[in-house]
Amino acid sequence: MDQIRRVIIALAAVLVWALVPNAVQAEEHELVITHMEIAETNIRPKVGDTVKFINQADIAHNLYLTYEDGTVQNLDTQFPGMSKTAKIERSGKVVVRCWIHPVIRMEFDAADAD
Amino acid sequence: MIRRGAQMSLSLAAIAFAAVSGLAEAGGITISTAAGDKIITLEALKERYERPDAIPFPNNNPYTEDKEKLGKKLFFDPRLSRSQIVSCATCHNPSLGWSDGLPKGVGHGMEPLERRSPPVLNLAWALSLMWDGRAHSLEQQALMPITAPQEMNMTMDDVVDRLRMVPGYRELFSEAFGETDSINAKNIVAALATYERTLVSHKAPFDLWVEGDEDAISAEAKRGFVTFNTKARCSACHAGWRFTDDSFHNIGLETDDVGRGKFTPPSVAIMKYAFKTPSLRDLRMQGPYMHDGSMADLDEVLEHYVKGGRKSPNLSPEMRPVKLSKTEQSDLIAFLETLRGPSVKPQLPDLP
Ligand SMILES: [Cu+2]
Repeated sequence: MDQIRRVIIALAAVLVWALVPNAVQAEEHELVITHMEIAETNIRPKVGDTVKFINQADIAHNLYLTYEDGTVQNLDTQFPGMSKTAKIERSGKVVVRCWIHPVIRMEFDAADAD
Repeated sequence: MIRRGAQMSLSLAAIAFAAVSGLAEAGGITISTAAGDKIITLEALKERYERPDAIPFPNNNPYTEDKEKLGKKLFFDPRLSRSQIVSCATCHNPSLGWSDGLPKGVGHGMEPLERRSPPVLNLAWALSLMWDGRAHSLEQQALMPITAPQEMNMTMDDVVDRLRMVPGYRELFSEAFGETDSINAKNIVAALATYERTLVSHKAPFDLWVEGDEDAISAEAKRGFVTFNTKARCSACHAGWRFTDDSFHNIGLETDDVGRGKFTPPSVAIMKYAFKTPSLRDLRMQGPYMHDGSMADLDEVLEHYVKGGRKSPNLSPEMRPVKLSKTEQSDLIAFLETLRGPSVKPQLPDLP
């Protein structure tokens, strides 16, 4: 019984945390990689948000993000079916490319954190 | 999972049968891809290899007949090299499949180069050039061998000075670029790039099959096409009508050459010893193969892919051992033969 009560309290805590409006809460944005393309979507993440890249292709990719100041964020090799997440570090234009496949290229704008 | 597996082997058997019996009708047969999560028809698979209708020329260097004519003369002119005996066509010889038939190129002073001379067909569509992708356009690429000390060993200033002394070139440049003093580095590479963009493989038996002529290729080649796209996973890299993804892969060869790794951060392990996927169109069946010409024949190449390449942290994730029977291997070679069309044979130019 004690254990069940503890689980209920924990679940309630999670629920409260999830429901309370939180200005600094980071959002997650999703992008899907099909064969040699990142499917077109309009995302506009803020600094601190995460962008999740889902590899739905049947080949591996190795994406990297380049910020306006030239900083490069490498996401490592992602096998088919695997997801990799990048936490947005800087605002401005972000270019996504793949080390393996130069044909892959997409851009989005990152906003300043609130 | 079990059902999907069963379905895949069933449909592969169906396609092999259909290919043999010539029954592969549009939309009639399905196959699964290597990932196992897509089912496409043989017709849809063929569509991935359809040839484009027209050659793309960039806005900053549009096609003109005069530029092509000039570019062709420059391509075959040994005066573009310091020694005056090496032209672009020395290493990219149309009689040898626009390469030189050697394991590695030979440069200035007959010194051997580090890599094999790649054929120059179908480069109008290329997204990156050179084995390590260091050139991003044919214009940029054309400068590199001319000015490399180990190759043609010139400076562009010297090339310009030399061409200015040839009256015929003055005329050809003004026809191509419409100015009185238009012999300069920018126009030289613009003309060379224009000519190179016109070098396109002719239709091969495979193309006729893709267009619907079932008799254009043999049953072995049809089976080879399926193996190429499924079990052997050649199409993971040799993709599209040019049979290249224009991308970089370390296929596990013994080499000291870091290739693409020279231009990528050291943390990107899989780019170390990685080289650009070569096209398989108009493949010279006599070899040699690989960026370093280290393999003499296609049996050796297939054996390498069967074994999956030397294991290392740098190995491409697409490289994994695959069991291929002798028949599957000979089917693959029969398929590769069908990618060869009539040779692209230029009429040699008279030089001014
Ligand atoms: Cu990729």
